[in-house]
Amino acid sequence: MSKKSVTAAVLGLALAATTALAAGVHPGKESIEKSGYKGPETCEECHPGSAKGFLDTVHWKHASKVTNVEGLNPKEEYGMKNRIYVMCNGNDIVNNLKEIPKSPVTGKSKFSGCNTCHPGNHLSDVGSTGAAAEAAVDCLVCHSTDYDFRQRKPFKNEKGEVVMGQDRSAKAALAIGKPTVKNCMVCHEAAGGGVIVKRGFTFTKDTDAHAAKGMVCVDCHKAKNHKMPTGHDPNNWANDGLFVSCSDTSCHGVKPHKDADLNRHCAKIACQTCHIPRTGGAFAKDFTVWEQTPDKFYEPTTLKKEANETTPVYAWYNGTVKNTPHFIGPKGSKKDGKSKITPFKIFQGKAYYNKQTGELLSMDFAQPMSDGDTRAGVLSAAKTLGLKNPEKIAKEAVPGWQTIYFGSNHLVTKTKALYCANCHAPNGVLNFKDLGYSDKEILKLTSPELFMEKLAQKQKEDW
Amino acid sequence: MKKAVSVMVLVAVAALTIFCFGSIASAGEEVKMVGVITKIEIAGKDAKTATATLKDNKTEQLVVITVEDDLTLDKFKDHRIVEGDEIRCKYEVIDGKNVSKLFRKTAGC
Ligand code: HEC
Ligand code: HEC
Ligand code: HEC
Ligand code: HEC
Ligand code: HEC
Ligand code: HEC
Ligand code: HEC
Repeated sequence: MSKKSVTAAVLGLALAATTALAAGVHPGKESIEKSGYKGPETCEECHPGSAKGFLDTVHWKHASKVTNVEGLNPKEEYGMKNRIYVMCNGNDIVNNLKEIPKSPVTGKSKFSGCNTCHPGNHLSDVGSTGAAAEAAVDCLVCHSTDYDFRQRKPFKNEKGEVVMGQDRSAKAALAIGKPTVKNCMVCHEAAGGGVIVKRGFTFTKDTDAHAAKGMVCVDCHKAKNHKMPTGHDPNNWANDGLFVSCSDTSCHGVKPHKDADLNRHCAKIACQTCHIPRTGGAFAKDFTVWEQTPDKFYEPTTLKKEANETTPVYAWYNGTVKNTPHFIGPKGSKKDGKSKITPFKIFQGKAYYNKQTGELLSMDFAQPMSDGDTRAGVLSAAKTLGLKNPEKIAKEAVPGWQTIYFGSNHLVTKTKALYCANCHAPNGVLNFKDLGYSDKEILKLTSPELFMEKLAQKQKEDW
Repeated sequence: MKKAVSVMVLVAVAALTIFCFGSIASAGEEVKMVGVITKIEIAGKDAKTATATLKDNKTEQLVVITVEDDLTLDKFKDHRIVEGDEIRCKYEVIDGKNVSKLFRKTAGC
């Protein structure tokens, strides 16, 4: 971090602390009022290097080196740019933003592509570098509270190239501040193919204890030079090398409770297990059979639930990930000394596999979206990726299922947190047997002996 | 024990609306529809309510929906939701108005 950006950060903090929400008092306002907004170069006058720095983040590259997932090449970068899995059976490369073939029913086309969730303009796309890329960063999508989303749409320019629009008005640039929840949700809310599809992710005062306190995403995901800290969701690999956890000393530490019994559990049980008792979003998709929607386009058959409707599955997790064509999920065990019991949403997706190699194949959505022909999508993706004999691969491709474990790290509750009897009663939420406890241990762990006295005392106090 | 009991009840009864929306609408009165927005009417930046006219995909009828939740209002104001968008909507008839309980853009993968 440069000295300048350190002072910047300090000043920014002071600002945020003294004025409720710094929006509107951005010191650059006057200058922007005078000379307008010309893109990042305007910001660079006072925040030099921010655009260049941004190009080296997951948000620009949609990829990074990944060290905790098995079977990967440590020299390669992985992410939405190039992964193949079954939440979205493609990636930025095979599903590059384009106009899909016209619907045979309506004669209409539309734009579709994964890289719409990228703060570039598509001409400077995921992972691009150089001066043009620096000039293309959409600073305002994350920093403006007055962004006109009618501008943020794909269109074709004079040369016939597909461009992702941005709001570059002075009006939007005059409403600069630290990113709000809404700024982040521009892309995060509809990840996975629609609102609350990927992970039942709402962040409102009704659904999250931190939102109820007025906290925003970046209060926890404190970015440094636009590198954003993340966690170890087995499904979401790319990271900027920074990590955030509930027990960081700047947050809650490892002994957050007055009650020593609860603190003792933190050695073996992740905070999320007790504090995020529900999850949601899609739990199954079929990419081999697409459904026609009322507008006569097609989309993958999807079963979903609301934000808080799904009971999680609990597994030991040590932060490393098993990764096979049919399974992506947590590794860990009761015995390794590093794992904690952690909640997950299980998602299962059906897609095509390569008959020869058993590998999961990816799909270009353009053709299936237009007429439901999913094998045509496999063919197009196989060609884009330069696989040998793409026709043969697509023709012989075999449908199969992949199971993915999704981390469950938001929707935090205090009042509904799991308490003694939620786990230690015989009908408790944990399946002690699956978690590797012996019959003898289970007998003990499901006896009121463990909590009788405590809960009786509490009952007395409560009444 | 009060807390433990309520926690247990919640866990047992599982997928309850209290958990998701905090709304106490009884499911029976809710109407579900998918339709395209033909008109959005909202009175300025500070408006606390708006109406959106949806053309029901099944019946082709125009249905006027009253929207009161902040998140959706905000999406009208900054044009994340605009005329022409297809919406999955759940509403409840209250005092003759179709009050939205869920108002979401449909979207593919
Ligand atoms: C004329 C100088 C100037 C210009 C131009 C300018 N800024 Fe700033 N900006 C500042 C100063 C000074 C601060 C407060 C100290 C700091 O953080 O560096 C600031 C703070 C910020 C902050 C932190 C706000 C907070 O509340 O935490 C962000 C974000 C920011 N600017 C983004 C931008 C963006 C995006 C642009 C381009 C649209 C821009 N700035 C243009 C001078 C400027
Ligand atoms: C609406 C924005 C949006 C669109 C469109 C989108 N994604 Fe994503 N995607 C995200 C976000 C946000 C994440 C990471 C956050 C998360 O996992 O919750 C992500 C993560 C991913 C990951 C995991 C990346 C990793 O680091 O391991 C893959 C793979 C992926 N998306 C594939 C796709 C594919 C394929 C498409 C297009 C068919 C697509 N996405 C379209 C927003 C989007
Ligand atoms: C993907 C969202 C995103 C985009 C796009 C983005 N920023 Fe930021 N920016 C952030 C986040 C997050 C922070 C950290 C906020 C915090 O921790 O308070 C930040 C912080 C800043 C700061 C405060 C000082 C610092 O570095 O922490 C400045 C200045 C800034 N951004 C300028 C820019 C400029 C200029 C652009 C365009 C080149 C840009 N940002 C694009 C998310 C974004
Ligand atoms: C322009 C779309 C977009 C916006 C706006 C956006 N994100 Fe993301 N974000 C993504 C995508 C896409 C990914 C997944 C990329 C991948 O894994 O390949 C992602 C990944 C992440 C990750 C995990 C990877 C990492 O970089 O640590 C975190 C955490 C994250 N975003 C937080 C935020 C926060 C906080 C904000 C608001 C300041 C925000 N995002 C705004 C699109 C966006
Ligand atoms: C109270 C702190 C907190 C807030 C507020 C918060 N997050 Fe997180 N987030 C976390 C933690 C902690 C993790 C990682 C936990 C782990 O894997 O151990 C995480 C993980 C993530 C991930 C990685 C995928 C996943 O779900 O595990 C993404 C993406 C993300 N957050 C985006 C956001 C966005 C967008 C917002 C605002 C709408 C937000 N977060 C608000 C703490 C927070
Ligand atoms: C075994 C279950 C369990 C685990 C594990 C757990 N908590 Fe808690 N936690 C609770 C319960 C139950 C409450 C509510 C206690 C109350 O209302 O008095 C609570 C309360 C809290 C509070 C509010 C304290 C207060 O005084 O208001 C915080 C903060 C907290 N937990 C953080 C954490 C963090 C951080 C972790 C992980 C390091 C964690 N918890 C792990 C069950 C747990
Ligand atoms: C999220 C589920 C969960 C909750 C809530 C929970 N426990 Fe536990 N508890 C466990 C698990 C799992 C173990 C075994 C940990 C291990 O493997 O060391 C355990 C172990 C114990 C033990 C040690 C048993 C032995 O091996 O001798 C006691 C005592 C205990 N819990 C009491 C309580 C009390 C009292 C509460 C309420 C304050 C409580 N637990 C809440 C899951 C839970």
